[in-house]
Amino acid sequence: MSPLEVALGYEAPAGRNGPRVWIPLGGSHRAAGLSEPQRRELVSTVLEVNAEPGARLVVLGVEVDGLRPAGRAALRDRIGFLPADGGLISSLNAWENIVLPTGFHHHRRLRGIEATVNRLVGGLGADPHELLSKLPERMTLYEKKLTGYVRIVLESPDLVLAEELLGGLGPEERTAAARFPAVYLESHPGGTFVQLEVAPAHE
Amino acid sequence: MIGVYREFEGCMRLSGYVLRRLAVLARPPVAESLTRQIYFTGASATAGMVLRGAFIGTLIIAYVIDVLDANATLAVKILLWVVLREVGPLIAAVLVIQRSGTAVVTELALMQISGEIASLRHMRIDPRDYLVVPRVIGIALSTAALTFYVQLIAVGGGMLLSALTIDVPLNEMAGEFFALASPVDFVYSVIKSFLFGATIAVICCYHGLHPPGTSINAVPKAAINAVSQSTLLVMLLNVVFAYLVFGQAFFGLVTAKL
Repeated sequence: MSPLEVALGYEAPAGRNGPRVWIPLGGSHRAAGLSEPQRRELVSTVLEVNAEPGARLVVLGVEVDGLRPAGRAALRDRIGFLPADGGLISSLNAWENIVLPTGFHHHRRLRGIEATVNRLVGGLGADPHELLSKLPERMTLYEKKLTGYVRIVLESPDLVLAEELLGGLGPEERTAAARFPAVYLESHPGGTFVQLEVAPAHE
Repeated sequence: MIGVYREFEGCMRLSGYVLRRLAVLARPPVAESLTRQIYFTGASATAGMVLRGAFIGTLIIAYVIDVLDANATLAVKILLWVVLREVGPLIAAVLVIQRSGTAVVTELALMQISGEIASLRHMRIDPRDYLVVPRVIGIALSTAALTFYVQLIAVGGGMLLSALTIDVPLNEMAGEFFALASPVDFVYSVIKSFLFGATIAVICCYHGLHPPGTSINAVPKAAINAVSQSTLLVMLLNVVFAYLVFGQAFFGLVTAKL
């Protein structure tokens, strides 16, 4: 596969048990079978857009090695990350958490954003009026993931990395969360949604 | 010693960052954070300030007139020199350290330990922009405002309560006060208290962002470091200010050759 066709490619330096991931551009994908340290290494490398010597990193069709800091920063702006617990700020309610990055980076986009948020939250099985005023400490795990997810969709990144998207959820919540990639791809048809899953540890 | 130097250097760098990034206050989430900080430090602390201020003012006047058997002129002079110039800004600073300083350092240290600072970085938000800049500016402005309240209440309330409790006419004390007070006193105390507030906020934010460990035990340690260092630095700044503006420090023990 040519690097131009790769949404996320990472090969850890040879000689150690690092992660090896090669995901094509566009659509929804799963990177399963990673160990916890491998997943952590992959996430930190991609989010820093900086691979250690001997490693190879391709993000959204671009070989990161040799990129200048401005190029790395531009590439980083196109990546969204959804941690397993939603990555929320505990002192902000769901609405404030959702609009935080949009308000910080593109505050002109805030106008009319409420309707989009209500549609996304309502479409994924939660009551917007109930959820949006909640603080993270009162949310279920699904509500936390949903809040973090809506926050990312509003930013419209080209690549979304989601950690353990279905982990820790009940059956109904799993069904709703399984629709996250499709909803993202509807609003961002050229995007790539990658679920990072840790392999169960064996005795 | 190296640790102290590193902390000092870190605080200086953080101060420089805040000065360079003031424009970030125009972004809606940061502006909201600034408003919250001003409300928390400046507005919700006023009730306690009013009580303490009136108590201190009355105590000073009562002590000078009743115990030292002095006249109204001396009482007002002491009110002006002690309360307006020194005690007002210091009391405001101590209250800000107690209330907001501890809250800031604890909140930031908990955010660091629980991974919320990392979450901000994942959103491509520099924690210094979102957490430090509004807190430093908010606390600095609020400390200046609180100092003004303390001065107003301590001087005005002190004179009023003294007129009621001690046999000194209010108009006599007020006349003496306005004859002795100058705009320099107010400008001096406002600038000084603004710097006190900024210093407290920078030190507390620095320790909050750099807790000495990754366990929950690091939070009280960070709070202790922040409170003790900001108290010490406020006292030092007070001495420096007194020396620079009035040519004397340590209540006249060190006097500048003007």
